[in-house]
Amino acid sequence: MLTDFSWLVDRWPFLLRALWTTLYVSTLSLLLGFVIGILVGSLRSYGGRVLDLVLGFYVDSVRAIPPLALLVWTFFAFPILIGHSLGSITAGVLALGVHLGAYMAETIRAGLTSVRPGQMRAALALGMTKFAAVRTIILPQALIRMLPPLGSLFVIAVKDSAIASAIAVPELMRQSQVVAGQTYRGPIIFTTAMVVYFLINYPIARGIDRLYRRVAHLGAS
Amino acid sequence: MIASPDSMAARVGRDEPPILLFDGVVKRYGPLVALDGVSFQVNRGEVVCLIGPSGSGKSTLLRCANGLEAVDGGRVAFESVDVVSSAATIFKLRQRMGMVFQNFELFPHLTVQRNVSIGPTTVLKLAREAADARASELLRKVGLADKAGKHPAALSGGQQQRVAIARALAMQPDVMLFDEPTSALDPETIGEVLAVMKALADEGMTMMVVTHEMDFAKRVADWVVVFDHGRVIEQGPPKQIFEAPLVARTRDFLSHLGWHGESTAEAEHATRSAKGA
Amino acid sequence: MRFDWSVIWDNLGRLAEGAELTVFLAMVTMALAIPGGLLLAFLRLSRFRLVRGAATAFVEFFRATPLILQIYWVYYVLPVFSDILFPPIATALIGLVCNISSFNSETFRAGILSIRQGQWNAGLALGMSRGQVMLRIVLPQAAMRVLPSLASTWVSLFKDTSLVSVIAVADLSYVALQLRAQTYRILEVLTAMAVIYWLMGYPQAKLVDWLHRRYKVVE
Repeated sequence: MLTDFSWLVDRWPFLLRALWTTLYVSTLSLLLGFVIGILVGSLRSYGGRVLDLVLGFYVDSVRAIPPLALLVWTFFAFPILIGHSLGSITAGVLALGVHLGAYMAETIRAGLTSVRPGQMRAALALGMTKFAAVRTIILPQALIRMLPPLGSLFVIAVKDSAIASAIAVPELMRQSQVVAGQTYRGPIIFTTAMVVYFLINYPIARGIDRLYRRVAHLGAS
Repeated sequence: MIASPDSMAARVGRDEPPILLFDGVVKRYGPLVALDGVSFQVNRGEVVCLIGPSGSGKSTLLRCANGLEAVDGGRVAFESVDVVSSAATIFKLRQRMGMVFQNFELFPHLTVQRNVSIGPTTVLKLAREAADARASELLRKVGLADKAGKHPAALSGGQQQRVAIARALAMQPDVMLFDEPTSALDPETIGEVLAVMKALADEGMTMMVVTHEMDFAKRVADWVVVFDHGRVIEQGPPKQIFEAPLVARTRDFLSHLGWHGESTAEAEHATRSAKGA
Repeated sequence: MRFDWSVIWDNLGRLAEGAELTVFLAMVTMALAIPGGLLLAFLRLSRFRLVRGAATAFVEFFRATPLILQIYWVYYVLPVFSDILFPPIATALIGLVCNISSFNSETFRAGILSIRQGQWNAGLALGMSRGQVMLRIVLPQAAMRVLPSLASTWVSLFKDTSLVSVIAVADLSYVALQLRAQTYRILEVLTAMAVIYWLMGYPQAKLVDWLHRRYKVVE
């Protein structure tokens, strides 16, 4: 009985679509998180004290709330507030993106402040505006330095996408549950899912490490 | 010819075996040869100074003496016992050799007093009171009794190094190994550390010192070993090395350091008339 | 839109019980995951390649896969290997402890490795054994350095406990979601859930920030 995997083979396309959804949700939430992170991180670093405090409050608050709570709130409660329903994937990406964005903001803020102040002075002395200086001089260096933490945030994005199963987003975790329910082969299907996540995340983490080692000197000022 | 036959004859072949013997020591780091057949000895009661350009292998050789570095060829012996014969041997031998590091390496999470007493309590299994008494005495000796309760971070570099010397002395070693003890110090504090080292030498402690302080070597050393590119290019009494070196490379090295061949007599006179630090 | 917040006040007791279990889970997990992490860290630093490899595989696996899946996995796989009937809370704890231990082991390993070689040399030069140096010189210093990271992991763990709700362990999330299903006051209940987590989590997050500032490493 252990060697009969026909049930798994039959469902291959189903699970492949689920994997695709996982990658889709992860990437979109990462992008959203990155945009939020750059905006909030830069504004906190260069936008003055008030903005720093207000955005700081947002960042710390989001960091204090579990992704699960954000997900269910965005999917079930938020539509009531705006009078318009949200698709599960949309809600998932929104909630995960906002959650990730808080961590991204912190990482980017740390990266920006780690670049030596002399770099900003040099850029301004050349006649650049603060905006241009951040965009062309500071941010590139900061991004290189932040590769390792950004890499781990990527891994977190993929892992958190699995929590979206709680609001029935048809990603890998959720569809594994479905198959487990249909076939009663829970252990095998979940082990397979674990291996798949590992095969996605482990190479990414090692790849980013390797990339960082090669470009680290470009970010050292 | 790296040393005059007379002075060498006077060293080798005594009744007592040398306290430290290096015989054809070889040490490699991958393709790099750090030590290429180094041979010399340290006799009991002597102060031997190792000098030479940076990267010539002096510090590596020092670390081979107490087994912190393993040798790839040749022999290192402490009182005729091979240093690397076994792990148990190394631990026993290290108790009889004290080491002082360039970066002091005091234990930052312990007070000055505890830094000095931790060797005796942990390794020599001394009772805490006895170890503390010994620590207090040694701190008094190096002039830092009032800092006993402080942590290393509160001390200056020179003070930390003096504590490090006390820490090594607390083990009552037979020989003291100094690895560029003043290289990381501000010029003002170098003097206080050298004074402690000189006092130690005057008491008859056997010392092997890697140093760039030529003044110190000239005044205090009984024997000087000159390193270059992992080899001993010359060895002899200070008078020979500093006034009439036999090897051209030695002369180059010393003149490069701005050493103008002040005579040993002049240096000794300077020592006697200078006030203690 | 009419909001009925009385639902929350009426059920405060149940919510409080859920929050209590959340705290309990977090504390028990961390209590087990600190020695667990230390053990894994030492195994990863072992001289024997087989030991090192096995420990590394364990740690990398639990770090790369989602916790929610790990909890599910333990829930389904454990009964296959043992005849003991584990209550859901036990399987949840097993999953959490394996997960957090893996993260802690990385923290500890980095802390130990960050201690300068010179400190090892100084201890060895005094004649101490490697064990003595580790115990008296390296670990005490490493402990101070890992404290901020451990605190961050704690805050993470606190949020991660919400995932045990998927196997019906009655933590705050489970109670809140049950309440939502029973009372249909979706917005109120879910907002209250987020707020309660915030009330517990925000001060902890600030504390962790303070710890990071206070124990910043200056060589």
